[in-house]
Amino acid sequence: MGGIVFSRVRKAFGSFVAVKDLDLEIGAGEFVSLLGPSGCGKTTTLRMLAGLEFPTAGTIAIGGRVVNDVAPGKRNVAMVFQSYALYPHMTVGENIAYPLRKQGVARAEREARVRAVAETLQLGALLDRRPKQLSGGQQQRVALGRALVREPAAFLLDEPLSNLDAKLRAHMRAELIELHRRVGKTFVYVTHDQLEAMTMSDRIAVMHEGVLQQFAPPRVIYDQPANLTVAGFIGSPAMNVMDAELVAAAGGAVAANGLLRAPLAAPGGGAGGARTIRLGVRPEDVLLGAGPLSGRIRVVEPTGHETIVAFEAAGASFVARAAADFSGAPGETVPFDLRSARLHVFDGATGGRLELSGAGPISAA
Amino acid sequence: MSRLDRRYAWLGVLLIAPTVLIFCMVIVYPLVSAIYLSLFSIFTPTLTGHWVGFANYADLVGSHEFWRSLFNTALWTVLTLVLQIALGIAMALMLHQNMVFRSLARSLILFPYFVSTVVAVLVWRWLFNDLYGILNHLMLWAGMFSAPIDWLGTMPNALASIVLVGAWKYFPFVVIAVLARLQSIPEQLYEAATIDGAGAWSRFTDVTLPQLREVLLVVVLLRAIWDFKEFDLIYLLTGGGPVIATQTLPRMVYKAAFGLNQMGRAAAVAVSMMLVMLAFMVVYLRIASRREREGRA
Repeated sequence: MGGIVFSRVRKAFGSFVAVKDLDLEIGAGEFVSLLGPSGCGKTTTLRMLAGLEFPTAGTIAIGGRVVNDVAPGKRNVAMVFQSYALYPHMTVGENIAYPLRKQGVARAEREARVRAVAETLQLGALLDRRPKQLSGGQQQRVALGRALVREPAAFLLDEPLSNLDAKLRAHMRAELIELHRRVGKTFVYVTHDQLEAMTMSDRIAVMHEGVLQQFAPPRVIYDQPANLTVAGFIGSPAMNVMDAELVAAAGGAVAANGLLRAPLAAPGGGAGGARTIRLGVRPEDVLLGAGPLSGRIRVVEPTGHETIVAFEAAGASFVARAAADFSGAPGETVPFDLRSARLHVFDGATGGRLELSGAGPISAA
Repeated sequence: MSRLDRRYAWLGVLLIAPTVLIFCMVIVYPLVSAIYLSLFSIFTPTLTGHWVGFANYADLVGSHEFWRSLFNTALWTVLTLVLQIALGIAMALMLHQNMVFRSLARSLILFPYFVSTVVAVLVWRWLFNDLYGILNHLMLWAGMFSAPIDWLGTMPNALASIVLVGAWKYFPFVVIAVLARLQSIPEQLYEAATIDGAGAWSRFTDVTLPQLREVLLVVVLLRAIWDFKEFDLIYLLTGGGPVIATQTLPRMVYKAAFGLNQMGRAAAVAVSMMLVMLAFMVVYLRIASRREREGRA
């Protein structure tokens, strides 16, 4: 129960296509984040799932039942809105009880269930307050309570933490993870915050311009981004990307540009012919202090537990994560190396990931 | 208090002084003067007379005309108000929907409110006219009556007519206020209710109406005060007739002051009217202060 399947779902607003032929299978009990920049179609996808928007084409199934023509209230899903959407004239207790009232649940049972949910979310003392009298975090919990009390097959959350301050956000993240573990229901979570998606999700669906880019566990998304869009969106600071030429060499291929030569190997054999590629490397895989390459430091940003260093080498900009005690200063020249095993290779034309990996030390061009 | 503080205090007094002065001139003076006049028997054209104490008020308490006028005023206020509110909410809900020519309809709906009362009443008098009026013509044509109806000269038609015209003239005010509030109700509340299983009617009663409560309270109070002292519409439409069947208190004040030349008596009616309106005012202030408290909470 509670599994969700999008099949060839498309949503157009006039001539603007918000979601393009989406195929997505979310397992029952899974915590899935829809992640992407604003306008990527993630919220539209969630709203179609809730029944607030109707797909232009394709089908959406919840728990094996196609719900395209099912009213929102009958889909057995609960939604938590970014603005919480609490009924301002009702008390906390009445807010939480509202979905049960609409289902015709008897008063005694209603009160018992509201009390149970309030207990879970530590809202017991606030049941007689009005939303206006609550803090942002408390309102958030009431919104969660209103969703929980229905015991739905799936929870839909639309950027529920974005109105909270940083500290509370970290706290609520942990609470949500715990809540998901406890109720074991399907969670579909829309966010533009990669940290939220990475920390909470079983799997992340990265979307861009209405197209699903990659759907995989957070570790896979980070380590093996399906394309340059995903690679650029996930990770902060963003992945360093440079142009290079792929040329055939003995035992594999070599990526070369004005800065470096990196031997590459294709696990499946056959690196293909010579062509333009994009070479990516994460900031933590740029090793400052020693190595065959050299660059000139532009900016040094100590954050306390590490130092972010921006530098230039052969006309390309790089960002590196260095140790907290990094001592370089802007204008200085610094030697560096790249972890060759952690190089990402993308097609120069399509941006798609190429199954090539570093096969030996990098040398200067 | 430092010198600077004193200077600021004086500046404050200086800044507020014009308002206080104008307030005294246009509110306090006429008010005190009306109360003062009501204690005299005064001949209007010469404004001369003699002290009679509370005799004017004693007269009113014993006067059938006063009680009838008070009753008429209350009846007119309640009936036209109910009609205005019902019509206003319904129209606002309609204009809140996405429909073709919405902006045009929103502008047109304000027409009755903006048109001058004299013009509006003249038009309505033509519509109601028993010989040439379109209303009688259509009703006769439809076979609803066999003879023309006298809409303004008999009861209860005259009362129904002023209530109808009053509602027509003033319901746009309700539309504007309610529509403004409707537009500020967050769409997500409706979406949340929809997902919670609320149908269209439930969404109206559980989301829309509670959100309208505050604005409706203010609208009802303001409109009640304005309707209570309505003069021109009723004066022009029926003149308070037949006889005094639709005569309201403002009409009685006018008649006493300029028809019967009894300025003292007129002032006494006006002061009595003010007392009734004071009750509305107290309710309004209590609600306003409660809202302010809740706003702070």
